[in-house]
Amino acid sequence: MSTLLSDLALGISIAVSFSGLFYCFLGVFLGTLVGVLPGIGIMATLAMLMPITFHLEPTLALIMLGGIYYGASYGGSTASILMNLPGTATSAVTGLDGYPMAKQGRAGQALFMTAIASFYGSIFGVILLAGFSVPLSRVALKFGPHEYVALMLLGLIAASVIGSGRSIRSLIAVSLGLALGLIGLDLNSGVARFTFGQTVLFDGLPLVAVAIGLFGLPEIIASAGRSVMPKVDDQKIRLRDMMPTREDWRRSWMPMLRGSGIGGFFGALPGTGGLVATFVSYAVERKVSKHPEEFGKGAIEGVAAPEAANNAAVQAAFIPTLSLGIPGDPVMAIMLGVMMVHGIIPGPTVIQESPDLFWGLIVSFVVGNLMLLVLNLPLVGMWVKILKIPYNLLFPVIVAFTCIGIYSVNYQIFDIFVLLAFGFLGLGMRALKFEVAPLLLGFVLGPMIEEYFRRALIVSRGDITSFFDRPIAGTILVITFLILLWAIGSKVWVGLRARRAAREAANA
Amino acid sequence: MRFVLSRTEDIIAAVVTAGVGSFIVIEAGGYRMGTLTSMGPGYFPTILGWTMIALAALILVTSRPTEVLRLPGHRELRGMLLVAASFGGFALTIERFGMIPAVTLAVFLAALASERNKLWMAAALGLGSAITCALIFRVGLGLQIEAF
Repeated sequence: MSTLLSDLALGISIAVSFSGLFYCFLGVFLGTLVGVLPGIGIMATLAMLMPITFHLEPTLALIMLGGIYYGASYGGSTASILMNLPGTATSAVTGLDGYPMAKQGRAGQALFMTAIASFYGSIFGVILLAGFSVPLSRVALKFGPHEYVALMLLGLIAASVIGSGRSIRSLIAVSLGLALGLIGLDLNSGVARFTFGQTVLFDGLPLVAVAIGLFGLPEIIASAGRSVMPKVDDQKIRLRDMMPTREDWRRSWMPMLRGSGIGGFFGALPGTGGLVATFVSYAVERKVSKHPEEFGKGAIEGVAAPEAANNAAVQAAFIPTLSLGIPGDPVMAIMLGVMMVHGIIPGPTVIQESPDLFWGLIVSFVVGNLMLLVLNLPLVGMWVKILKIPYNLLFPVIVAFTCIGIYSVNYQIFDIFVLLAFGFLGLGMRALKFEVAPLLLGFVLGPMIEEYFRRALIVSRGDITSFFDRPIAGTILVITFLILLWAIGSKVWVGLRARRAAREAANA
Repeated sequence: MRFVLSRTEDIIAAVVTAGVGSFIVIEAGGYRMGTLTSMGPGYFPTILGWTMIALAALILVTSRPTEVLRLPGHRELRGMLLVAASFGGFALTIERFGMIPAVTLAVFLAALASERNKLWMAAALGLGSAITCALIFRVGLGLQIEAF
C-alpha cells in the first residue's frame, strides 16, 4: 500500500508540475481540435507534432502524445453528432443515435452525455491500466522468448479475426506487413536482406513514415478533393440547455458501465482496439434494451455506451504497450517509436526502471481527462465554431507540417518518399476494402517475432513442441487457435444458414 | 469475364500477395538457410514467403463476388496527383533551398488540389505558412533545417 502511495506521489510530482500540466493541456487541447475536425486524423496530427516532442523529456513527450490520443477520442463525437460526419473513425457509431438526437433538437444533451460517458470510460481504463500493468510486467519479466512469440501471434490473429471485414483479407494484410518488416539488416548474422543494395534501408523502413503514410496520407488526400463541407446544424448550444433529463441519466448509467467493461477488454487485447469495442458495445446495448426499436432514432444508450467503450479502450491500450512492449494499435506503435527515439527500450523493465515515466503518465491521464471535461462541457460552443473553418485553406498547411514533421525524425528526404509510397499503398488497400491496421501491426511485430522465434528455438535446441510444453506459452497458443477456429466456424455456420434460408425461400 | 470482373478486389490481392511471396522465396534462396536450432537469415523469410503464397491461393478459392471496383474520378485524381506533387516538391527542395522555398512550394501545390482555391490564394497561403513554419520550427523549436 505504501509503495502505491509513494508511486502515486511520484506521479503527481511529475504530472502536476508546471511543464507536466502545460504539455498535458497542449496534448488534450490539440487532440480535441483534431478530433473535432473531420479529415484530420490522429495519425496526421502525430506526424505534425513529432518535432515538438523531440526536444522534450520522454515523459513529457509521452504525456503530450497520450493527451492527443484520448483528447481526439473525446472530440471525435462532436462532428459525429452535429453533422453525422465522424471526426475520427471510432466515433462513427456515436453518430448512429447522436445525429438523430441532434435533429430532434437534443444535440446539447447528446454532447453532454458523450462527455460524461467518455470521462467515465477513461477513468475506468486508467484504473485498469494502473491496476494491471505492474503485476503484468512482473509476470512478463519471467517471460522467455516462447511466451513472447505466443503473445505476438495472439495479437496478429486477434487483429485479423476480430476486426471488421473478412479474416482472410486481414491475414493477407498481416503477411504483407511481415514481409515489409523483413527489410533491413538481419540482427543475428548482419546480412542485409531485401535492401537492394541501398544503405538507407539497412535500418529497415522508417516506422513513423510508414505509419503516417498508411493512415494519415489517405485522410489528407481523400479530403483534398472535397470542396464543400456539410453544414453545421446551427443550434444554440449553451451549458444550461445541455443538461440531460432525469430519464436520460437513468437510461445511461448501466450502458456506460457495460461499455467501459467491453472497451477495457478489447483495448487491452493487443491487435484490437476502440473501433471494435464501439461496435460490440452498441450491439450489446441494442440486444439488452427493453426498447430496441428506438436505436438508430435517437436512443441515448446508443451514445453513452460506445463513447464509454471507446475511451476505456484508448486507456487500456496502454497496458500491453507499457507492460510488455507490444503495441496494440497504430497509435501505440508510434508511441513505441517515440520511446525508442528517446533511448527507452519498451518492455516489462520500463515500469521498474522508470517509475517516474509510468506513474507520471497515469496521473497525467487523470488530470488530462479532468481538463477534457472542462473543454468539452462549458467550452463546447468553441469547438462547434471551429467546425466552420474552410477546409480548403486548412489542409495545404497540414501537408506542409506533415512534411516537416516526417523530415525532422531522421533528416532524410528518403523518409518523405517512403511516406508518399505508403500513402498510395494505403489508398489502394482502402479502394480494395482491405484493412490497413493489420499490415502495420505485422510490420511492427514481424522483426520482433522472428527475433524471439529464433531465440526460442536456440534455447530449446530446435524442438518446436517446446512452445506447448511451457504452461503460459501453451495456454496463449491454445487461445489463439480457439479464436481462429471460432472465426472459421462462425463463418461456415453463417454460410450454411444463409444457404438453408435461400432453399426454404425457394421452396415456399 | 463477369466472374473475373466481379472478383477484381480478391484477384488483385491474390496476385500481389503471391508475387511478393514468390519474390521473397526466390530472394531468400540466396541467404544461408541454417537449421531449426540455429536459423540463418533465409529461414524465416522462406517460411513467410510460402505462407503468403498459400494465403493468396486461399483468398482466390474463397473469393466472393463484390461490387465492381470504382475508379477515381477526374477531380479525385487531380487532388491526388497535386498532393503527391506537393510532398515530392518538398522532398526535392528542402535540402537544396531550405525551409521557406520548400514549404511555399508544398503549400502552393497542395492548395491547388482544391478547385475552390484560386492561384493567388494558393501563392499567398504558401508564403504565409512558410514564414510561420520558419518562425515555429527554426526560431521557436530550433530544428536543424536552414530557412534558405
